[in-house]
Amino acid sequence: MADAVFLALSVITIGSAIAALELRSLIYGSIALMGTLGGIAGFFFLLDSPFVALFQLAVYVGSIAVLILFTVMLVKRELIFKKVEDSRRKYAGLALMLVTMVALGAVFLDSGIKTITTDEPAVNFRDIGIDFVTYYWPALILMALILAGSVTGALVLAKREDVENDQRTS
Amino acid sequence: MSVLAPKFKLSEFIKSLFDNAFWALLLVSLVGLPLIQVVLFYIEMPVINGELLTPFLALTWLADPSRSLPIVKAFMATDMFRVMVFPGFGFAALLAAGTIFVERKMLAKLQLRVGPFYCGKIEGILQLAGDGLKLISKEIIIPAKADKPIFWAAPVIFVATAAAFVALIPVAPGGWVVADVDLGLLGVFAIIGFFPIITILSAWSANSKFPFIGGIRALFQMVSFEIPLILSLLGVVIVTGTLNLSEISASQSFFPWIVFLPVGAIVFFITMLAELERIPFDLPEAESEIVAGWLTEFSGMMYGLVQLGTYLKLYAFAALFVVLFLGGWNGPMIVPPFPEEILTEGIVLGPVTAKFPGLPLFDQAMLNGTLWFVIKTVGVIFFILLPRGVFPRIRIDMLLSLGWTKLIGLAFVNIFIALGLLYAGVLGPGGLQ
Repeated sequence: MADAVFLALSVITIGSAIAALELRSLIYGSIALMGTLGGIAGFFFLLDSPFVALFQLAVYVGSIAVLILFTVMLVKRELIFKKVEDSRRKYAGLALMLVTMVALGAVFLDSGIKTITTDEPAVNFRDIGIDFVTYYWPALILMALILAGSVTGALVLAKREDVENDQRTS
Repeated sequence: MSVLAPKFKLSEFIKSLFDNAFWALLLVSLVGLPLIQVVLFYIEMPVINGELLTPFLALTWLADPSRSLPIVKAFMATDMFRVMVFPGFGFAALLAAGTIFVERKMLAKLQLRVGPFYCGKIEGILQLAGDGLKLISKEIIIPAKADKPIFWAAPVIFVATAAAFVALIPVAPGGWVVADVDLGLLGVFAIIGFFPIITILSAWSANSKFPFIGGIRALFQMVSFEIPLILSLLGVVIVTGTLNLSEISASQSFFPWIVFLPVGAIVFFITMLAELERIPFDLPEAESEIVAGWLTEFSGMMYGLVQLGTYLKLYAFAALFVVLFLGGWNGPMIVPPFPEEILTEGIVLGPVTAKFPGLPLFDQAMLNGTLWFVIKTVGVIFFILLPRGVFPRIRIDMLLSLGWTKLIGLAFVNIFIALGLLYAGVLGPGGLQ
């Protein structure tokens, strides 16, 4: 069962990633990108970490993909893209990808990941929370400061004075 | 005005009835009965209690409550029942349909109009069925230059996403929820994130000006109000220490969280109005400016599906408000216990005594929980509908500044209130709960 789901997810993820690169229509490309990100969320579900999976869905599919869609819809495609049909570049890119993937795969297989067998229960998100406030508290405080800074910045940016004009008499 | 067709003749009508009966009998005897015989010949019927289960015997058993009630009970314990009937799609769709009718009638009364009146003789009670029939029978028109795959898929995906949202809502104690997941609230956030994508894709795919303007507005509005929505719910998570919606509901048996976190409840209510595109935040569908916003090009049952999804979403948001802030299913026990004498003696009607072993179908706590949940949810839906009769629409820059500056600030205030309650020992371990 898990193997079949894993295979299906792999096909969806890799297939839609290729589609995202190759499709001529930018909108369909970003939909395919959503498929890739959703497939990765599926992998996290398979790995017994629904917490990460749901954040993947909420942040990547829900926000990043929306941003990309938004940008694609508001920008005229002809202004930023020139069609460059160069078969040599394409083959070079494919070769580069193959080399990278083989190298990464070799590193993975060499790292002893095949011999790991574990029946341990999945990590509870409460444990992650407890770890964050005890052992990793400096990281937590750093993240909190960065996030607070960015939220304050966003608020300051959003709170601007309206441009007065003649049409709106308030 | 005559309700009959102009060239109506009673004799023709009776003749057509006889015609239909003749054809039905002919088809049953020539096709139906042989088909049943063939099926019976090839299917091996089971032997139960030493008796071969013939169709005749099966029909006899169905009339016997001591045999049929266990079947009903077994069906009610299945996932299928939960998904399709209660507390899943059927229950939510029923409440949503009621909402549509009550909304039209109530707004009419608020604005001194009559509202639906003729359909169904009594106060237009059948208006909804009439509208549904009209939508089903209308032709689906697709704009010539629309992007057809996305345009067709968008309403279906919209309803599916709304139904997934409904599936996370716990309705009654004892596990009456479709998907009881540990991370239910995170699941809600993930599902809410899908609505803007579907909206903007359907708006873009129509390839028409008004839907696109409406879709862009919807995207702005939903994305900017998602942040205060998520932040306003963090207070409840902090004081309960769980993300499971059933546990959050059960944790409010003494007091609802709105008592301690009123700021969060107000922020959540306002963001809810914006996410649902209700007045005063109905810029995406502003009918006086951009026809019907992102719904302009939908026709026939596609529009019906989008409408169904919208009202399912409305029910789900109201139910989420009830679960998080108003105590969910908790309330004083007002449902009477199941009468004992029906269990022991059965129902006596003159000389006939009918015994129903296997009753009751639902226990008292579940019925009471459902009753309170429905009362609270209907109340919240009423407060969501009310502004539509009263308020004008606000400008989009006011909307965005409201979302980004005021509501986010208030949501942070709510989080600090929750943390203060927790660290002061009022709530949490050592405190009230």
